[in-house]
Amino acid sequence: MNDPVEVVILGGGTAGWMAAAALSALLPRSRCNVRLVESEEIGIVGVGEATLPHMKNFNDAVGIDEAEMIRATKATFKLGIEFRDWGFLGSSYVHPFGIHGASETSLGFHHKWLRAAQTGHESNLEDFSFAIVASRQNRFDFPAATGKPGIASTYSYAYHFDASLYAAFLRKFVEARGVTRIEGMVRAVNKTPGGDIASLTLESGEVVSGNFFIDCSGFRSIILGEALGAEWEDWSNWLPCDRAWAVPSANVGELTPYTRSTALDAGWQWRIPLQHRTGNGHVFSTGFTTEEQARETLLANLDGQALAEPRLLRFQAGRRLGSWHRNCLALGLASGFLEPLESTSIYLVQIALMHLLPLFPGRQTEPALRDEFNRRMEVEYERIRDFLILHYHLTNRDDSELWRYCRAMDVPESLTFKIERFRRRGYIERYREGLFTPPSWLSVLVGQGLKPEHYHPTMDNVPAEEVARELEELRTDILDRVEEMPKHEAVMARYTRDGFASDPFAFGLNA
Amino acid sequence: MMQPVRKVVVVGRDGPAWMAALSLQRALGRAGLEVSVVELPSLLRGADVYAALPSLRSLHDLLGLDEAAVLTAARGVPMVAQRYSEWTPGAAFLQGYDSVEAPGAFLSFVQLWAKARIKGLPVPFEEFSYGAMAARLGRVPSESDDPEALGATYGYHLDANAYSLLLRTLSERRGIKVRSTPIADVEISEDRILAIELADGQRIEADLFVDASGAEAVLISRLPQSAFEAWDAFLPCDRLLAASAPRLSPLPAFSQVTAFDAGWAGMFPLQERTAVVAAYRSTEIGDDELLHKLKADVGMPVEGDAVVSTIAPGVRKSPWIGNCVAVADAAAFLEPLDSLQLHMAHVCVTQLINFFPVDSDTRIEATDYNAAVRLHASNLRDFQQSHYKLNRRTGQRLWDEARSAEVSDGLAQKLRVFQARSEAVLYDEETFEAGSWASMFIGHGLTPEGYDPRADLIEEQDHIERIQARLREIAGSIPALPTIEAFLTATQIPVKAPAPAS
Repeated sequence: MNDPVEVVILGGGTAGWMAAAALSALLPRSRCNVRLVESEEIGIVGVGEATLPHMKNFNDAVGIDEAEMIRATKATFKLGIEFRDWGFLGSSYVHPFGIHGASETSLGFHHKWLRAAQTGHESNLEDFSFAIVASRQNRFDFPAATGKPGIASTYSYAYHFDASLYAAFLRKFVEARGVTRIEGMVRAVNKTPGGDIASLTLESGEVVSGNFFIDCSGFRSIILGEALGAEWEDWSNWLPCDRAWAVPSANVGELTPYTRSTALDAGWQWRIPLQHRTGNGHVFSTGFTTEEQARETLLANLDGQALAEPRLLRFQAGRRLGSWHRNCLALGLASGFLEPLESTSIYLVQIALMHLLPLFPGRQTEPALRDEFNRRMEVEYERIRDFLILHYHLTNRDDSELWRYCRAMDVPESLTFKIERFRRRGYIERYREGLFTPPSWLSVLVGQGLKPEHYHPTMDNVPAEEVARELEELRTDILDRVEEMPKHEAVMARYTRDGFASDPFAFGLNA
Repeated sequence: MMQPVRKVVVVGRDGPAWMAALSLQRALGRAGLEVSVVELPSLLRGADVYAALPSLRSLHDLLGLDEAAVLTAARGVPMVAQRYSEWTPGAAFLQGYDSVEAPGAFLSFVQLWAKARIKGLPVPFEEFSYGAMAARLGRVPSESDDPEALGATYGYHLDANAYSLLLRTLSERRGIKVRSTPIADVEISEDRILAIELADGQRIEADLFVDASGAEAVLISRLPQSAFEAWDAFLPCDRLLAASAPRLSPLPAFSQVTAFDAGWAGMFPLQERTAVVAAYRSTEIGDDELLHKLKADVGMPVEGDAVVSTIAPGVRKSPWIGNCVAVADAAAFLEPLDSLQLHMAHVCVTQLINFFPVDSDTRIEATDYNAAVRLHASNLRDFQQSHYKLNRRTGQRLWDEARSAEVSDGLAQKLRVFQARSEAVLYDEETFEAGSWASMFIGHGLTPEGYDPRADLIEEQDHIERIQARLREIAGSIPALPTIEAFLTATQIPVKAPAPAS
């Protein structure tokens, strides 16, 4: 078991280079020897320009310097996602990377919020989230260091970045750590007599053999899908969008510390602010509009001048059952696709790698490890799937065919369950595994327009007036603290200035 | 129009009934909930003991019960570990309650140990457990404020009758109305209990009835959809003996659970006596023969108060039906292993408060309560079954069958992954954290063949140093901890002088 495993990664997009980075930095040299096959002829899909806070943990773990990464990938900071026109036309809410209230409680902040409303004064839930209030004012600062808990430590942050620059940055980082990159297109995937993957034959005739293959070949899923025939589970009846047009535009207006997602007639549009441009895209369903129509819609909805011709991406929501099959494990688009509505694409690559590390096999695949990995990834995919469907299904919009379809469609039972429970008693399930903690569910459930009919009975122990007073103090406290924060733009200027120190803490402490 | 739940009647007996009444009143009394109890005759035998997990102490904190009061009234002693012996012939191990490792640590200590063992380290895993080593030296540990430092916590051994009486007295003092008249009839319409009629003619209505009557399940078993799922395929014992033995001196900090050919027998130290419990299968041994065996072979000097009863492990298909919520043994029955006797009550009551209905249409709350309680109970069953599954008592029918018995998919996966990577997979609704599963698996001889490959990132010298540092820290700090007797004295409990040798 201690002979190093010869790992072959197929594909050099974000997924491939993240895999190479994780295996080379986080596993001992004695366990694996990593090579990566990619072709410069194949472009990177790179829809994942917006990330989740987990990204920072990944970078920290593999040893990437944050400031260097921010400069290299033209990154900006992100405190959440604004959803416009999702619950109903004219609506706007933010899903923040943080909690509502001053500290996390097992019951959830919203029970207090509902109890306080019994005084007759309804308040806006968003006023009690530090990250949302900061977002609305286009401010950013690093969360207060642990050890001084308080309202300014109730959030975390992520990045917007240029995914192709990130892949290139990782490539440089990883090649410096001894990972071999092999240039070439795959002509054939060769199997052993027993049916495992033995090697890849490249167009040049070179044969790259290995013990363990990581398929990062994108939608084609060359090893897992094409060679091993892993079954595809289709989720497009719940998530009908199957195309996206993407186009960069010039930056205009104040730099926002959040991604924006605007619901449109036949899909939605993303807006991702980077240092040098704004990434835009229109995710749509060909069941409800045409490619040409969608392209025009995107161009008509840009807030700055388009900087290139729009590029079309084709996809289908779903996943391959068992992303670890025999001696092949697929990552990213090769294992499944969920639209970038909640910036989960890179997270799914990252979490797959984090699950793989402790289970990393020897030269022979151990079924217990494979089954455990697949169990964990099934949970990850399904949790995210339900969370995405929630945005489409729980809406009051009935102004176009897509929204009428989504409102009426049958959704997975696991999601119906969650909606019913929140509606009746404000209950949000807390699970051990998988993305999206109760604060995330809360912001989207309420943001999409659902208000619980009851709060938890124990809230009646405290007089409503008392709770309302507490909330009023919290609102003022948040406002005061947010107004002391610098503007996002001002924080970014520190990174783009030449020769600036690379230690974020040098200016993280309210410079 | 749906009415809010204003009135709860707990029907039951012993620890769980009072625990339910006190907890509900504490959580919802100020919100206007009226809680009363219809008390059934106790099912406790004189010799019964409650061995309780450390989590019971947090419930006591919530209820405003201080430790000295509990230990004084219930003649209790701290329980620092459990010692399992003879589950593999000639072998024994201690299972303590170590503090959960700091979440920042990227490798748990078991990984370091597993690798060192494969490389030839001869030191058993238990010697790296703060709780187990404290128990071995008869000391009471405490949890450290420093998340990096080692620490452990403890539960209790309590005299079951005295503890129940303590909670009963407290219930009455807190204004909970108690009726001790026998039940004459339960009025049922479809899936709802309309009222309970008592022998003296009183008719008691409520919005919600809590069935805390123990395995008898006097309320919920009368409802039409009631069904019980037996777990005899997983947990083999069907008889339970309770008895007393003389006080041990000095008081051990652990209970001792010894396997024998027909089941297991446990000794649970109390202030003035030692409670003895034996679980066994009636096909393997008769009750009289068992008593003889306990004295002769297992070495347990049982006194004259031995009482035997039938047990049937399992869970209700629906612990909550209509307006009737079963808690504790009425919801799920486990063996009195692993200090779980009061734990199911604690879990059920916590879930009942969590899912306390917002009005009288309780279908959603019942569904969630049932799912949570059943999942929790089946995870505990998996923990208990692991003791049996991993036994090495070959050539004895009960034990041979237990080794080949079926296990749940979840436990099968836990065992496989642990064997391959020294890490216990955890699911939702687990009582025991990964460290407890690991020490139980390893204690019973499931030695991992592999470990988290990241353990190889640690240089050999550093690895050896970490292993030695942990042994030093344990050896250095445990002798300073109080002994059981010193702990009791410091808690202002007079300690009885050791009984003269007879």
